[in-house]
Amino acid sequence: MSDSNQVGSLQVRGVSKYFGEFRAVNDINLDIRNGEFLTLLGPSGSGKTTLLMMIAGFLGITKGDIALDGSSITDVPAEKRNFGMVFQGYALFPHMSVRDNIGYALSVRKRPVSEIKNRVDEMLDLVQLNDFADRKPGQLSGGQQQRVALARALCFAPPVLLLDEPLGALDKKLRVEVQEQLKDIHRRVGTTFIYVTHDQEEALSMSDRIVIMRDGAIEQVGTPKELYERPINEFTAGFLGKSNFIRANGKIFALRPEKIDLQLGTGHPDARSSGVVRSVTYFGSMHRVIVDTGGGDEIEVDIDVWRNSESLSAGDSVDLLWNDAAAVELQTG
Amino acid sequence: MNALTKHMHPGWLIIAPLLALVTLLYLGPILNILWLSVTDPEPGLGNYAKLGESDALLRIVWTTVRICIITTLFSVTLGYSIAYAMVHCHQRQKSYMLTLLLVSFWISILVRTFSWLMLLGRKGLVNVTLEDIGLIAEPIAFMRNELGVLIGMIHYMIPYAVLPLLVSMQSLDTRVMDASRNLGASGSQTFWRIYLPLTTPGLVASTLLVFILSLGFYVTPAVLGGGKVLMVAEYISVQLLVTLKWGTAAMLAALMLFGVLAMLWVMSRFMKLSTVFGGAAR
Amino acid sequence: MQDKQFMKEMLTDSAHAYKAGRMDRRMFLALCGASGVAMSSVMAGDAQAAADHVVMWNWGGQSEECHGSAIGDAFTAETGKGLKFDTSGPLEGKIKEMVDSGNVTADVADADLFNAVSLGPTGHLEPIDYSVVSKDKTLPGYALEHGVSVILYGYAFVYDTEVYGDNPPQNWADFFDTEKFPGMRSLYKWANGSLEAALLADGVSGDALYPLDMDRALAKLKSIKDDSLYWGSGSEAHSMVVNGEVSMGMVWQNRGRNIENDTDGRYKLVNMQAIAMPGAYIVPKGNPAGAAVMEFIATAQEVPAQLALLDCLGMTPSNPEAFGQIPEDQQDYAITSAKNIDKIVYNDPDWWGKNGGDAVNAFLEAIS
Repeated sequence: MSDSNQVGSLQVRGVSKYFGEFRAVNDINLDIRNGEFLTLLGPSGSGKTTLLMMIAGFLGITKGDIALDGSSITDVPAEKRNFGMVFQGYALFPHMSVRDNIGYALSVRKRPVSEIKNRVDEMLDLVQLNDFADRKPGQLSGGQQQRVALARALCFAPPVLLLDEPLGALDKKLRVEVQEQLKDIHRRVGTTFIYVTHDQEEALSMSDRIVIMRDGAIEQVGTPKELYERPINEFTAGFLGKSNFIRANGKIFALRPEKIDLQLGTGHPDARSSGVVRSVTYFGSMHRVIVDTGGGDEIEVDIDVWRNSESLSAGDSVDLLWNDAAAVELQTG
Repeated sequence: MNALTKHMHPGWLIIAPLLALVTLLYLGPILNILWLSVTDPEPGLGNYAKLGESDALLRIVWTTVRICIITTLFSVTLGYSIAYAMVHCHQRQKSYMLTLLLVSFWISILVRTFSWLMLLGRKGLVNVTLEDIGLIAEPIAFMRNELGVLIGMIHYMIPYAVLPLLVSMQSLDTRVMDASRNLGASGSQTFWRIYLPLTTPGLVASTLLVFILSLGFYVTPAVLGGGKVLMVAEYISVQLLVTLKWGTAAMLAALMLFGVLAMLWVMSRFMKLSTVFGGAAR
Repeated sequence: MQDKQFMKEMLTDSAHAYKAGRMDRRMFLALCGASGVAMSSVMAGDAQAAADHVVMWNWGGQSEECHGSAIGDAFTAETGKGLKFDTSGPLEGKIKEMVDSGNVTADVADADLFNAVSLGPTGHLEPIDYSVVSKDKTLPGYALEHGVSVILYGYAFVYDTEVYGDNPPQNWADFFDTEKFPGMRSLYKWANGSLEAALLADGVSGDALYPLDMDRALAKLKSIKDDSLYWGSGSEAHSMVVNGEVSMGMVWQNRGRNIENDTDGRYKLVNMQAIAMPGAYIVPKGNPAGAAVMEFIATAQEVPAQLALLDCLGMTPSNPEAFGQIPEDQQDYAITSAKNIDKIVYNDPDWWGKNGGDAVNAFLEAIS
């Protein structure tokens, strides 16, 4: 199928969006590569959706330029950009059948009926909705609607697919399942995916690269592993997974809870710190232990359950140990 | 009591008196009219037979239907544009427009009717101005004819046409239109293939409302028609009050009632009427 | 019309509530004020109207005021009883409905004499008590079993002096002649007068009008249909003329003077062949004030009342005694004045009472 799909790269150059005085997006520079699954991740109000809408063409750009494969599309209207998009809440056409929804993009391009039919059948295969082709969106479950939205956006083989929190309306269990399908579809069609979410787990599990945004600006860009292992500042470290922040010699380090070892009793020769257990919480696959290291500082430690920390309880004195490599020095200020 | 509540939600008991009252107050008079139409002046279907015998009655009915259809067509088309403009303009302009719309409901139909005479009558502002600047030699006959009736009725009906459309348009998910554009549809493609179908329930509600209200129009045709545009409502009133042919009046009223019911029935074959009256779309 | 009816009903209900103490006076007055209705006129619509007053059912407006001063005051002086009004307009259908419903709230309706012919035999009217009311104080033939003519009004016409100048239309034949007298005309919408005028124009003589030759009349009317407008109320007739919509307009003669004044004499009244209509008092069956209403009718027949109505409303006296006393400035406008009485034609209430319904329908069908 990938033979009929185009793949595009996007160049975002100094893009800003102001709403009056408010700078929703401020001077963003970003290169999106051919065929990659790129996630814009950030809390609400970070400008990720605004950026996506500017790429889609629904919002004008205050400053800067966006280019597809090197040629500017800043002045190209949304309907001429040929980007697929999966909307938050899907925005399916409620009065059309699944088949007509999926074939809409080809139909407005006045393609022959037989071509539309073949292509829609292909898409129905891709999202496994062959049996639902004649239903209306209102007769489908949330997950099915999501797949219709995806098929509709991919039907005309767009070089870039934009996804705006496409899983937001699904419950957690279904979400994990759909993540797998989405990832699989991305592999099969090979199109560039730009995915907006505020869910860090979703971002980690699906993306080739993640762009972490805050207050309209990019904090850090990298692969999930790079970002998780090497966050450059407190925001990134805290937003993507959990992190302890250790201050020493005027420097600040991020330390993931699962990278800390914990020994009952004090006086271990390699102990980096010690303290008193404040609480132990059971999470199934692990225990989360909060250790009070004095002076109001707390360190969170995740211990695998198989290590049997049942004997550990609040009030116990413990030593904390970690490798130098586990503590990542962060930019300050 | 227990046996009763088994088959019936107890809530019905609470609203039963009201329901009975409504039935009595609405159904009673309607049945009375149907009864009158087959008993006055003598039992039988004589009143209905008049429809076949009298060209004049048929002509009055046809005039009424024709005027109502044209009125509905224009009111709903203009109302659609107005509602569209209201939904898509800035919030401030929108409340301004909504206020103007609602104010028009407060102006009596008589005042509006006579205002049209002052504006478009033979010696009205428009004709006098056009004559003064030499554009026309003879006044244009806007009023005291069918055109006058249509102008007056369309003007009166537009606010009624706007409201259901406004509700329908406001409840639309605008992302659906974004989706259409994103999929490559031009503005007009998006309108014809997405916007119009999705506002169809509002369009139908608006059409029904305007058409049914128009059927009962009385004052405007009487005044602006110059006495020559006779519609069913006025004719019924004359039969009731002046000529005392209550059977004929009842027959025409029943005819209008059945006409409206038949129209609703035909429409229900094509779409779920509940969506028109605000129900869920599935 | 509908609005007015609604307002009326609401106010009547409130009147009951007010009387029963369920609504305070201020609230009630506010409601009356809001609808522009005098409190007394609403209270009069009350079914409980006691016999200490008589309720007159008319069309309101100036007529209410004039009846009060012309007849009401004298009636009160003579009998000690008051006069109240219901101004919702005593159309035949409404009288029938009121009597049929058993809730009769009016004592005397200011109606047409032909109403007495159509509603009398069906049992909707009280007979006139001619031991109290005088048959001599009206024109012969206008004192019927169930109604008596108290005033006359006439179907005459006005014309635009600027359009017709030195050669003005003289009679109905001219009125219907659109070749000699081009321009728009207006006629009464409910057939009355319009049919007679058409026949007169077609050469039928005034004393041979009845029974009306409907086909002939309608044919004549249709011949000027494209040049005609039709009015349904006195004020509409007035405004069609005053606003210059027509060059010739049939009007109720009592409005002639006002039209001449309102147009600074541009429009002029023609009383030649004016069709005299007997306005009549009729009494709904089972009226609340009972026999007392006959005294009221008798009062209205007296010369002072007749002249006062002429002065106030322009309605022409029907009591022959009053004809000679019509003042100089009313000579041109009153149709029974010495100046006009020989020109006029008399309406036959009997024909209209029996054939009016069909005539109105045939007329409406012809003009629409």
